[in-house]
Amino acid sequence: MSSGETYRVRMSGISKRYNAIQTLDDVSLVLKPGEVLGLVGDNGAGKSTLSKVLSGAVVPDAGTIEIDGMPVTFNSPADSRAARVEMVYQDLSLCDTVDVAGNLFLGREPRRRIAGISFLDKKRMHEQTRQMLDRLGIVIADTRLKVENLSGGQRQSIAIGRAASFEPSVLIMDEPTAALAVAEVEAVLDLIRAVSARGVSVILITHRLQDLFLVCDRIQVMYEGRNVAERLIGETNIEDVVNLIVGRKFSARSATSAYRDGAPA
Amino acid sequence: MSDVSSTHSAQSRRVREGTWRDAVLANGSVVSIALFFLVVCVIFSVTTDAFLTSPNLLNILRQSAPLLIVAAAMTFVITTGGIDLSVGSVLALVATLSATLLQLGLPWPAVILAMLALGALLGAVQGYFVAYEGIPAFIVTLAGLSVIRGVALLITGGYSIPIEPGSPFTVLGRAWFLGVPAPALIALAILAIAYIAFNETPFGRYVTGIGANAEAVRRAGVNTRLTTLFVYVISAAAAALAGIIIAARLGSGSSNAGQGFELEVIAAVVLGGTSLFGGRGTIIGTVLGALTVAVIGNGLILAHLSPFLTPIVTGTIILVAIWLNFRLFRGAVRSR
Repeated sequence: MSSGETYRVRMSGISKRYNAIQTLDDVSLVLKPGEVLGLVGDNGAGKSTLSKVLSGAVVPDAGTIEIDGMPVTFNSPADSRAARVEMVYQDLSLCDTVDVAGNLFLGREPRRRIAGISFLDKKRMHEQTRQMLDRLGIVIADTRLKVENLSGGQRQSIAIGRAASFEPSVLIMDEPTAALAVAEVEAVLDLIRAVSARGVSVILITHRLQDLFLVCDRIQVMYEGRNVAERLIGETNIEDVVNLIVGRKFSARSATSAYRDGAPA
Repeated sequence: MSDVSSTHSAQSRRVREGTWRDAVLANGSVVSIALFFLVVCVIFSVTTDAFLTSPNLLNILRQSAPLLIVAAAMTFVITTGGIDLSVGSVLALVATLSATLLQLGLPWPAVILAMLALGALLGAVQGYFVAYEGIPAFIVTLAGLSVIRGVALLITGGYSIPIEPGSPFTVLGRAWFLGVPAPALIALAILAIAYIAFNETPFGRYVTGIGANAEAVRRAGVNTRLTTLFVYVISAAAAALAGIIIAARLGSGSSNAGQGFELEVIAAVVLGGTSLFGGRGTIIGTVLGALTVAVIGNGLILAHLSPFLTPIVTGTIILVAIWLNFRLFRGAVRSR
């Protein structure tokens, strides 16, 4: 299997302990090119920590990470960015009083040098921003609008667009649809589809289970720091996923079919 | 399907309307200070004969040059969300030291360079504590205000030190070129540089970004600490330049120069619509704010009113202008 198919991401045996709490216990995760993986679990199940391990923000105690078959070690977010892993944080990391183009290009603005001094090339910046937004189908009337004047969904789209513009091979999104209006959720989900259609592997962390069934190819369920189940989206339903998340404690009618899949809680 | 496209066009129409309104609101602070400036100018033009004459207007420019220069630099500091209370003290130290060094016989170009370097150094020290040690700018520069003024007093023993009237050094403060006073020309050059640096360079963009969301700028790979340190270097160097100009104009260096100057500068910047919370600043607003402060002082004297009215009127206008801005901005900022 390891020679037959190369995974974009292959994490195995990842463990992380914070004092008394084993946040991650021998967790593994695989991701194919262009695949959208939904990572679900209750609060404290370890999904955020796992994604931070992959984005370099948390260094695990044990375990290995391979990207495209090559073993890698991430000690900082810069390391994972170099391996083309991008993460969209829940707080979005946008500057409210800077315009749309300025936020997309923050830290890597197009420049032109006049007499040895570098100036912002605003014209090129706005043109490239417009192309980038159009390519991803993000609807923003004016790239000169300040981000503070955008809706929650538009801000989310800018943050995702910014991450996507680094041409990542893996994009991790932490709760991108939380606190959005219905129409805005649709736009963000469209954006996730557009990004994955460009060959980007996506890890989507969410509590909105209905979103999983709209964009994900596969779902991985975590419970108290361990992997408890993996389901292809075509082979599961929302009740099944709910039961897996809560650890079958409340499992009732749907539990009978689920028991046969093993992994008792 | 037609349903979907119609909602989309409705949505983008809504967005475009917002754009137009945002543009007005975004410049609301500059518009309101421009109105205040015009009103003040008109009042003094009508009530006094001398105000609207070119000698008087040039005199205002000459006198307000130090304020304009330091306020432009302070705009950078305040836009990062910081403050620099030490500019008045730096001004006094530089004024006294430059007079002292000239008395010791140092050539005037060397004095100017040394003083600018001293200003930059003082700014770098304060900036280090703010940016790298994480101590609030208010506290660091409050300490700077006290220490630096103290050094100036210690050097002079409280006396002012004269500068020889024939020295070419005084040209900086007293000369006229092409019918314009030299300090005004220097201020104009500094303002032009500040405007371009603020609006057209990556540095200016990061200054605004740091004030809005420093963590986001840091995550974007920008050296936010160095950028923050640098704004304090700029403001102290600008204060040093202002000190040189004042010493040259007055022909002496006094350790009491620039008492309360920092508050005048901050008032000008805030009047211009720069937010004390950071992330929002304009150089044009600052220029208008500084000129408004200068015109009020000048006009009240010309109107034969007590000069002690100046702080009362200035303070009132600050409060009213900021109140108006605050109302306007509350309408403009809706997210989060």
